[in-house]
Amino acid sequence: MLPASLARAGQRGEWVRAALGRRLLAPHGWALLQTGPGPGPCCRLGLRWRHQIHCKEPALLLQAARRSIRTQAGGLRAEKPSGDTSKHVSMQRAEKGEAVLSAAQRVKDAGRDFTYFIVVLVGIGVTGGLFYVIFKELFSSSSPSKIYGDALEKCRSHPEIIGVFGESIKGYGEATRRGRRQLVSHIEYVKDGLKHMRLKFYIEGSESGKRGTVHVEVKENPERGGFEVRYIFVDVDTYPRRTIIIEDNR
Amino acid sequence: MEEYAREPCPWRIVDDCGGAFTMGAIGGGIFQAIKGFRNSPVGVNHRLRGSLTAIKTRAPQLGGSFAVWGGLFSMIDCSMVRMRGKEDPWNSITSGALTGAILAARNGPVAMVGSAAMGGILLALIEGAGILLTRFASTQFANGPQFSDDPSQLPPAPSPSPFGDYRQYQ
Repeated sequence: MLPASLARAGQRGEWVRAALGRRLLAPHGWALLQTGPGPGPCCRLGLRWRHQIHCKEPALLLQAARRSIRTQAGGLRAEKPSGDTSKHVSMQRAEKGEAVLSAAQRVKDAGRDFTYFIVVLVGIGVTGGLFYVIFKELFSSSSPSKIYGDALEKCRSHPEIIGVFGESIKGYGEATRRGRRQLVSHIEYVKDGLKHMRLKFYIEGSESGKRGTVHVEVKENPERGGFEVRYIFVDVDTYPRRTIIIEDNR
Repeated sequence: MEEYAREPCPWRIVDDCGGAFTMGAIGGGIFQAIKGFRNSPVGVNHRLRGSLTAIKTRAPQLGGSFAVWGGLFSMIDCSMVRMRGKEDPWNSITSGALTGAILAARNGPVAMVGSAAMGGILLALIEGAGILLTRFASTQFANGPQFSDDPSQLPPAPSPSPFGDYRQYQ
């Protein structure tokens, strides 16, 4: 107990010293000093504080008493870390954090803040990128899903398609493992300096067991911008195989 | 190439429900294991028992709420596929927002709007991630074989473009 409190008192040497000054003026401190000169109390104090070995010499008595007071004060302070002492301690710590440790601490804080900043920035960037991708996919007129929607509308209104597949045509893209079929397979390439895109998706109608594969190619229009259809045709995948050409602008 | 053995839609509801339950139960199990371990009294025995109790009480709850979300989401998604006759990213975004709104319905309209926005944004992010993933996968594939620049092998005659030229193989 006592060595620990001593160590702590040593750590907080400054305020112990300051407290000692007040302690010495306090009546309790005076009483200790007064009882100091006798051999008995000194030895009692020395016993309590084991490192103190020289308490016989009268010249050292005062010093020893002072030291014992100091340790006692430190011990008291350490034992009762409530009230104004804790305030002292916390105040001192705050002071230390600002004044003494500032160089290392500031570097550490800055590094941590910078790391958090980078993490936040990366998160915002990733989120923004995902939003950009999805908005481009949903709203841009040259996105695969838009072209797919337009081509599906053309398929739906084509009489021959309705004749083969029946009413209420539905379209879907490539199936993933989880049963989602909303992404259309597409490929983009550049020919003669113009962007081309080919899409492939599937249609089914109310005629059960009939499935068709729709092939679409669009070409960039250099004057008006955007894409225009080059061809759309449907391969009927089930047994009476045939090809239905919906649009051919080549 | 692939055989589409069956229509995914009605069965996907069960699939998503179970997948969401598993995900929630496992994720919640890991989370609650750590939380229970840290919140228990000192001692390895106490801590292990505490984390086990936390897992047993909380992880199925989380899995259940995940399952409710996934099942409702999938139901709305399938209904939208059926109604629109089309599968595209709009379906899942809308059904995410609707799911959020329905599950917050007992908390009043304001909570419904907030929850719907959260659901829609979350599903939009997931869709964006999916699109990005497929795009990366397909760009790797596309650079490899330079496919034929002729239109397509089967159907149309090159230039004259005869409409209605379909062949019927018996």
